[in-house]
Amino acid sequence: MAAFEYRQALEIRDAFARHGVRYLFIGKSGALLLGYPDTTQDADIFAERSQTNCEAILLGLRDLGFALTDGQAAEILRGKDFVQLKNGPFDLDLVFAPDGIERFEDAWQRRIVVEGFPVCHIDDIIASKAATNRQKDRDSLPRLRSFREYWLRHRDSETGFGRTSRDT
Amino acid sequence: MVEPENTTASQDSAAIPADWLAEFEAAARRPLETRIRYGFVKTYRPVLDDEPFRAFDSMEQYRRWCEENLPDWLGYGRV
Repeated sequence: MAAFEYRQALEIRDAFARHGVRYLFIGKSGALLLGYPDTTQDADIFAERSQTNCEAILLGLRDLGFALTDGQAAEILRGKDFVQLKNGPFDLDLVFAPDGIERFEDAWQRRIVVEGFPVCHIDDIIASKAATNRQKDRDSLPRLRSFREYWLRHRDSETGFGRTSRDT
Repeated sequence: MVEPENTTASQDSAAIPADWLAEFEAAARRPLETRIRYGFVKTYRPVLDDEPFRAFDSMEQYRRWCEENLPDWLGYGRV
């Protein structure tokens, strides 16, 4: 499978918008959207765990070309904490209960919208990575925290990161 | 990742290592499409990439599965 592409990010945005999915990019993929220069393999999505939203996610994933069996669809509908999808056009990690974030609604209120992509606030991305206590996340935290300082200073500038907004 | 030793002395970027600051500024100049092209890579990860679908009841279950099944060098183990 090839690396995740901008075109596919647009497809997620459009498919999820079509079905009214409440979600946020999180993890390093979210940080990349905010302007953080690094590399990652997967797109990470933090989604609200509700019956309506899980049904909408399922419709969106099928629109995107994920080949889900009935059993796999049932797992998503049940809102399992973490779902790894590698049976579609790109790899997608679906997280309903990320470490370090208490409630989806709180993260939603703090979200940043980058060119139509809803993204967790950098503080939530850092909190989530810090809470995992994994070696690979611990290694990345000093640079991510430095990026936070930079991002907070420049997020509203005309020259940095493109336009960011809380408007959807 | 090793933290760069040199840091910038400018007021605007206090405490941000100069190497990182240069990278952040360069990234900020790139359009989103380019940031995504540079940011997403694909390399094979043993075990992790071998199944088309996995679901875990809890993050704790997922973390434990990573520790018990993935090679240490992938970095998914907890400290």
